[in-house]
Amino acid sequence: MTSTHKPTAVSHLLASHVPGQERLRVLSASGQLGFGIVQDSLARGLQRKPHFIGCDMGSIDPGPFYLGSGQMAAPKDMVLRDLELVLLAARQLNVPLIIGSAGTAGAKPQLAATLALLQEVAQKHGLSFSVATVCSDVPRQILIEAVQDGRLKSLDPDGVSLPLPVPNPSQIELATHIVAQCGTHTFIEALAHQPDVLIAGRSCDTAIFAALPQMLGYDPALSLHMAKIIECTSLCCTPGGRDAILAELGQFDFILESMNPNAHATPASVAAHALYEQADPWVVEEPEGTLHLRHAKYTAIDAHRTQVSGAQFVPRLAPTLKVEGAVHTGSRAVLLAGVADPRMIEMMPKALQTVLERVQKLVPGPWSMVPHVYGQGAVRSLPPAHRSLHEIGLVIEFLAPTANMAKTAASVFKQNLLHFGFPGRLSTGGNLAFALTPSEIEANECYQFMLYHQLVGVSPQEVFGIEMHAWNFEEAMA
Amino acid sequence: MAALRHVKLMAQHALPLTELASVIRSKNAGPLCVTLDLFFRDQESYERAAQSDALNLNAIAALYGLLRTQIRRFDMPEILAIKLSMPRTVCAGHPGDGDLYGAQQHGPLLSLRV
Repeated sequence: MTSTHKPTAVSHLLASHVPGQERLRVLSASGQLGFGIVQDSLARGLQRKPHFIGCDMGSIDPGPFYLGSGQMAAPKDMVLRDLELVLLAARQLNVPLIIGSAGTAGAKPQLAATLALLQEVAQKHGLSFSVATVCSDVPRQILIEAVQDGRLKSLDPDGVSLPLPVPNPSQIELATHIVAQCGTHTFIEALAHQPDVLIAGRSCDTAIFAALPQMLGYDPALSLHMAKIIECTSLCCTPGGRDAILAELGQFDFILESMNPNAHATPASVAAHALYEQADPWVVEEPEGTLHLRHAKYTAIDAHRTQVSGAQFVPRLAPTLKVEGAVHTGSRAVLLAGVADPRMIEMMPKALQTVLERVQKLVPGPWSMVPHVYGQGAVRSLPPAHRSLHEIGLVIEFLAPTANMAKTAASVFKQNLLHFGFPGRLSTGGNLAFALTPSEIEANECYQFMLYHQLVGVSPQEVFGIEMHAWNFEEAMA
Repeated sequence: MAALRHVKLMAQHALPLTELASVIRSKNAGPLCVTLDLFFRDQESYERAAQSDALNLNAIAALYGLLRTQIRRFDMPEILAIKLSMPRTVCAGHPGDGDLYGAQQHGPLLSLRV
C-alpha cells in the first residue's frame, strides 16, 4: 500500500541514518497540538534539518469529558493550523511526522477527526503520502475477561493514589470510550509498515519520540528518557515555554536545545522537569518495562544546552497496559452567583440544605446539587480564619439524567436561594448577585472516569489496531 | 527544660518556607494522585527544609488531613528539591472536584515555617 515509486519518509530514514556517524536530530514541535504552535521556534527547528518531527496531542488531564464524549479539547481551526504547519514541514523535508494521543483523549472518534483534518490539509496542498494509524480503543470483551480473571488491577498498590474500584463487566459495558496507552513497541510495529506519517490514538507520550530511535538501534533507556523530556517541548527550560525543542541523540547521551533562543535548557531546569506530574521522580513505568532515572546525569554544554545520560531501562517479561475509560453520568447545569452579605455568607451551608429540600419537592426526579462556595474553601478546605467573610462566589452544579431536568432544578433553586428568608436577614431585596443573564447555564453532558487501571496478561497486538492509508491528492490538483 | 529551650530556639529561628523556596507547586500525577514539588534557593535552604519537622510525614499528613502512610516523600539533594505525593480527595473531574488539574493544592504549604 505504500508508495512504490519513491521511498517513504520512514523507509528513507531507516535506510540512511547510521548511529555513530551523526547524531539523530529529533524535533518536538508541540506538546499540545491544536493550541497554537509557536511558528518562529518551529521554523528555527526546521532549519536544523531534523530527522523526524513528533507532536503530542493529548492527555487525560483535561478531565473525563473528552474521553467520555469523544470531542477534541483543542479548537478545530487551531488543530487545522497546527497540522498544516507540521505536515507541510515534514513533507518538504521528507521526514516522518509522528502524532500521539490524537484529538485529546485518543479515542476512536478523536483519531478519526484528527485524520480527517489531516486529509483536509493534504487535499488543500495536493499532497500524496501514506499514513499509518493506531486505534487504541480496547475491545470490551478483552476487559471483561480480564476482570473475570483478576487481570485488571490498581495502578498504585502502594496507596499514594485514591482507590478507584475495578468496575464489574456490566459497568464496563456502560463506558462510552475505553482506551489503552499504546507503547513504543506498538509504534514500532506501525512504523514497520514504512509510512510517511503516523497518527496514533491514546499513546504513551514517550512512544512518539522513542520508537524511531529504537528502530535505528539507539539505546532504549536514552531514547525513552529523551522522549519523556521533550514531549512537553520547552517546558523543561528556564523560562519554560511551548516552543519546539530539538534533541540530538547519540549513542551515549542526548543534548537538549530549545528552539526559542531565550528559553534555556539548564541542568537544573531539565532535572526539575523529570519530577513534573510524576508521583515518583525516579521511576517511569512503560508498557515494555521500567525507566529508572535515579542515576541520570545532567551536564551543561553551554548556557543554552544540556547533555543528559545515565538513565537505565529494565524490560518487563510481559507488557502491561494502562487503561482509561469514562462513563456518561447525565447532564449538567450550573448556577453562577455572588454573595456580599456577611449574614447570608454565614448562613450559606444551612441555606443550601434548606433550599435543596424545598426544590426536591418542587422538581421531582433523581437530580443532585453540588455546591462550590468560592472564598469558603471550594478549591480545598480552608481553616475558618482564612474563609472570606465579605464576598463569596457560588458555582452550583446540578446533575440530572436529562439536560432539561438539570436546567429546571437550577432555575428553581436559583429563585428559592435568591429569596431565602432567615432570622436576622436584613437584605430582603435578594440574597444573590448575578453577573450573567441567564445566570443558570447548561454545561454539557457529564462524564466520570471509570477506569484508570493496569491491564496485564494481554498482548498489545490484540488491543491495538494498525491500519495503512495511502493518499494521492497530487493528481486531483493537476 | 533543655528540650523546651531548644524548641523555643528553633521556633524563633523558623523561617517562612516561601522565603526559602523558589518553586512550590502542585499538579496531578494521573487523576487519582496529586504531587507537590518544592525547589529551594540554595543548599542551606534545602537542608533546613529537609530536616524540618514541619515537612515530615506526620506534619504533612496533618496538614492535608491524610494518614502518614498515604504520603510518599522524596528528597533530592542533588537538585535541592523535595517531592510529596499523596492521594487526591476526589477523582479528577468527579462531581465535587474543585481542582481538575490539581494545580492549586499547594496552599497549605505556603504558611509553613521551617
